[in-house]
Amino acid sequence: MNGWHGRILRVDLTNSKISMEDVDPKIARDYLGGRGWAIRYLTDEVDPMVEPLDPENKLIFATGPLTATSAPTGNRYMVVTKSPLTGALAHSNSGGDFPTWMKRTGFDLFIFEGKAEKPVYLWVNEDEVEIRSAEHLWGQDVPSTTDALLAETSAKAKVACIGPAGENLVLMAAIMNDKDRAAARSGVGAVMGSKNLKGVVAYGRKNPVFAEEKKMRELSIKIAKEVGADMLAGSSLREYGTAYVPQVTNSLGILPTRNWQEGTFEGVDTIDGPTLTEKYLIKPKPCYRCPIACGRLTEVPDGPYAGKGEGPEYETISSFGSGCGVDNLAAVTKANYWCNELGLDTISTGMTIAVAMEMVEKGYLSEEKIGQPLRFGDPDAMIDMVQKMAYREGFGDELAEGSYRFADKYGHPELAVTTRKQEFPGYDPRGSQGMGLLYATSNKGASHMEGDVAYEEVFGVPVKEDPHSTDGKAELVARFQNAFTLIDASGLCVFLAVRYVFSADRMIWPVRLSQLMEYTTGIAYTPAEVLEAADRVYTLERMFLLKAGSTEDTLPPRMLNEPLPDGPAKGQVNRLDDMLPEFYAERGWDENGWPTEEKLKELGL
Amino acid sequence: MKISVKLIATYRELLPPGTQGNKIEIDVPKGTKISDVMMQFNVPQDDSSVIVVNGLTVPLSTVLVEGDEVAAFSAIAGG
Repeated sequence: MNGWHGRILRVDLTNSKISMEDVDPKIARDYLGGRGWAIRYLTDEVDPMVEPLDPENKLIFATGPLTATSAPTGNRYMVVTKSPLTGALAHSNSGGDFPTWMKRTGFDLFIFEGKAEKPVYLWVNEDEVEIRSAEHLWGQDVPSTTDALLAETSAKAKVACIGPAGENLVLMAAIMNDKDRAAARSGVGAVMGSKNLKGVVAYGRKNPVFAEEKKMRELSIKIAKEVGADMLAGSSLREYGTAYVPQVTNSLGILPTRNWQEGTFEGVDTIDGPTLTEKYLIKPKPCYRCPIACGRLTEVPDGPYAGKGEGPEYETISSFGSGCGVDNLAAVTKANYWCNELGLDTISTGMTIAVAMEMVEKGYLSEEKIGQPLRFGDPDAMIDMVQKMAYREGFGDELAEGSYRFADKYGHPELAVTTRKQEFPGYDPRGSQGMGLLYATSNKGASHMEGDVAYEEVFGVPVKEDPHSTDGKAELVARFQNAFTLIDASGLCVFLAVRYVFSADRMIWPVRLSQLMEYTTGIAYTPAEVLEAADRVYTLERMFLLKAGSTEDTLPPRMLNEPLPDGPAKGQVNRLDDMLPEFYAERGWDENGWPTEEKLKELGL
Repeated sequence: MKISVKLIATYRELLPPGTQGNKIEIDVPKGTKISDVMMQFNVPQDDSSVIVVNGLTVPLSTVLVEGDEVAAFSAIAGG
């Protein structure tokens, strides 16, 4: 095969057995790679009703055909499994260096099954693959584990691992790679922990072979030059990382504030990108071969929140900052460092703490019961709780179950702002109608990465849409879901993809992306064909979660019944019912949201 | 009449030197349109910018009223 290696590494942890197998070329073509291949294998091999933390669940690491290629940002991988947080599908995406190193081992996918008797790690050096003991690393944080694994294998290798949160089966545990990058969402780290798999180390020199090397190189250079010119002209992403976004969402009144009770935050000026750049930025830190460099290498030099690491990004600022009512950027940054070191998703962790803070504020829960103060705006209490959650220590054990289970247990599920029990990212759907439809219907529970229509409703990319209107949002959400599925399957990063490899109009037609796929794989993909393949992948994912019993597409009551009290979206709720029937029709699903027989047949499912 | 102009992220550089933060209050004559103010600050008025008034998407030909806040930023993916 070209582009793909066409090989899978299968690791049976129960029996310490390693096998290698080839991928059927038809599956390769029809499911594109990455997220697409992974859902096909998950569907074929895992009962959707499996308990996510049982050995029968499988954990799949997946690279795409453009991972480890010259295509700018072609350096992403996906972690796909059944989620313990949502009970539905998990597909979490990460960059850094690890994805390219993983692909260079000569395998596109690693499939982990069963459960090791004792903690282990996997060392993949091309075809030399070893399952090694990790008993001496159990309990260690992410930086220590990463350093130790590199010392035991090769300094040239790269590591993905879990921290204490994953070991302790915290439902929002992440899988961290290269220390500070995260396949963060949906508790994929807990699945890894349930298998007693502490880490994966990858090294190899098997670069994928391209069908049309010269054309691939020329188009990659052309795209890289366009990105480079934009960066030189001044890019907010390069200058501030995604930390520039709080000012944008605050201006639109959709910045989650004090657990979504408000949409604007009075402390926004102290937690935004310019403040981060001025006070704590050491330098932008790109993923491997990325011309954008949105990552932030930062240091809080002194004081109670001193530390050094990566972040924070927008989502972290909106959860630990405005979400918890904390206007102290050093504290938000410190909470981010802890999440990286202990292996936690910053969105779900911060937003779960925010729910507990509202429970205290409303008098539903006493601080005596919690065992510590936990008020909105208290940075020390927030940071303390992050650590307790990772170790399931004291009341942290309750919050480690995620906001929905926690709030439900104490009689107030309405305070959990989740869909499919996963916490919302930082765009309030009352002032961003399409985002509400996206969260409600997402295959992985609330996630912007599932088809981020905030690109149009908030950021004006590629065109600006009125965020308060529901008109045309059904079509827009369906189109973005397929586009993001395609990007995730290919191995590119969404920050590059939507702007530079799709048409710059409302159709977001994957003109250059299909070319990159063609030059890489040698398959004469057209834009329509790659979008159809993305539709096939998305629909198969949908079938998986429906069969898992996750059939309700809705939003939490706060979004549907409690109007925003402030800001430009004041008085609004999300009008999901106005969009949902049209959306189902757009996707070829029946009135209950099940893909029709005709649709399944059309996609060959 | 007084209005305020908030220029976010890289557009901050378009504010007059010495401006504190990302916002400035200015006096404009009655009848001033959004496009007039954006021209004054050299904000591109094409698809490369997102421009809102009081957080709302409105035509650039809209006439401003006392107390309006015009915000603008470069159209780029984020989040």
